[in-house]
Amino acid sequence: MAEWDELAEALADYTVSCNENERLRKMQRDWSRTLHFVCSDNDITFSMEVDRGEILSTPAGHVGIPDIVVTTHSETFCDMFWGDLNPVQKYLRGEITVKGSQEDVMRLDAISSVIWPDV
Amino acid sequence: MGSAEPARHGGASVLRRSVGTATATATSAGLAFAAIDYLGVVSVLAYAPGATAAVAIFVGGLLVLLVAGIFSELNGLYPTAAGIRLYLGRAVGSRTALSVTFTYMTTVVLVIAADAFLIGAAVRHVLHEPAALAYVWIAVLLGVALVANLRGVRLAGWVQTVVTYSVLSGTAVLSVVALFHVGGAFRHPFDLFGRGGFSGVQAVAFALFLYAAFEWVTTTAEEARTPKVITRALFIAPALIWLVSTLFALALAHLVPFARLHGSAYPQLLLGQAALGTVGELWMLALTVLTALNTFNGGFLVASRFIYAAAREGTLPRQFARLNLKAVPWLAVTTLAVGSAIVAAVVFATGQWLLLVSVGAAIESGIYGIASLCLLILRRRETRERPFRLVAGRPLAAFGAALFAVLFVATGFSDPTDARHFSVAPIGVIAVLGALATTYVLVFVPRLQAAAAARAATSRPRRRPGRPTGEGRGAAPATDSGAPSGA
Repeated sequence: MAEWDELAEALADYTVSCNENERLRKMQRDWSRTLHFVCSDNDITFSMEVDRGEILSTPAGHVGIPDIVVTTHSETFCDMFWGDLNPVQKYLRGEITVKGSQEDVMRLDAISSVIWPDV
Repeated sequence: MGSAEPARHGGASVLRRSVGTATATATSAGLAFAAIDYLGVVSVLAYAPGATAAVAIFVGGLLVLLVAGIFSELNGLYPTAAGIRLYLGRAVGSRTALSVTFTYMTTVVLVIAADAFLIGAAVRHVLHEPAALAYVWIAVLLGVALVANLRGVRLAGWVQTVVTYSVLSGTAVLSVVALFHVGGAFRHPFDLFGRGGFSGVQAVAFALFLYAAFEWVTTTAEEARTPKVITRALFIAPALIWLVSTLFALALAHLVPFARLHGSAYPQLLLGQAALGTVGELWMLALTVLTALNTFNGGFLVASRFIYAAAREGTLPRQFARLNLKAVPWLAVTTLAVGSAIVAAVVFATGQWLLLVSVGAAIESGIYGIASLCLLILRRRETRERPFRLVAGRPLAAFGAALFAVLFVATGFSDPTDARHFSVAPIGVIAVLGALATTYVLVFVPRLQAAAAARAATSRPRRRPGRPTGEGRGAAPATDSGAPSGA
């Protein structure tokens, strides 16, 4: 089970990877969303504010009204944000659950797909 | 960045944009009511002559309510866009799930191809152009759909709702006008087995096809306001389709002789012409073109995202997961358009459009049987609460599995061009599709996954600090255990 410090570290790395990827920024330039995350094993929650493809903040707790809500184990979130696992495999096995439009779910996965094409 | 203190989960978040019952119902009905449904009604009439078609469509509707109950419970257990893939994976294992889902997705290509062909043929007919120009119309329609999809153009939810209700109400109104038209006559009001001892069963099987794909609304479960929204849509949409299909079948039987419908790819235009002359014909042409908006929008979206997910998962070559700058899986979308164009051209050249109806109807019956089987198995394995629980679920699921297997056989060996004969063509096409899918899953998927695992192990070390390399990495092999990894 991952604690908030580990999640925050993973999120910081993910934010830098996303924001420094020019192709991703161009691809997501029309995508501004609020994301909520829920760790199903320890109930830790956090948010992500994306504005025109740029991750602005990843605060603890749920901030704003979400467009997408992602729920899974804290360890899975950590591995996902470090780029150490393929979120689609977990999603298709029902280990990651998502609330939100199919288009937004795909845009979210596109981030991992672009910044870590070999995973 | 994150704050020092974690926040704990206090309850469910409400989405900024979510789908309500009206939109979900429109999605369900819109996916089901494609241009090919007009031909589906003719196939029902082939086995249930005259007004008897209404009886077959009613019985088909009752069976669809059972399907709605089964999918509602499965969707309540796994409210995800992965839908039937996940139910099957949990019930019978991921390899079987993958084989069945690949075969199932071919119906999307068939429906897109059928709509392209039918709309092309209808436009050509109204404009009195040479037959060969239908190829041009097919290419134009699929080309427009391809470019719109590649540019990330999506129908807004409200547009999709308006289009669906316009098509349904427009078809119903013209059918009522036709029913009051002087000069028609009702024949064979209750002659369900008038075309042979098995014809009633085949008529019901083809009637089931009129509702086919209504269950795809479960792929929008993740954006539904509440789980009950999908359940309501699954029950309301078939009622709308029943009403419209019944009126259309009665109107056709009332005004247009079956001999004229028999060899036609545009029965709806014949009805429009018979009821209101040129105005009626243009009316039905407009509705036919409108159905393409739903088919091309929904069909391309569902199938291309399935291909994308399969490529990301490692069960299709990863080139299919490549995204363009609009975040669209361009190779998946292009492959779908090209595949549909080829199928549409073959259908046009051979004139075998009713074969598409038979293949689609058989695959849908098979999927409904498999979904019944999934519920039967998952009732034993999954004890957790779900928002909808089918009353007498086990006996009804067992009944469904047996009944839909019979209907699969009935349509698989049907020959709608001559109701008194049987044909192996539909079952042959399905057998080939199924064999290709199974061979691919058994032979090529393990190779793709081995290559992906090797790539993941050698391409770069694990990035997360403090964890050994290889932990949690690599492609998950498809197994037939049915259990999720780590369970």
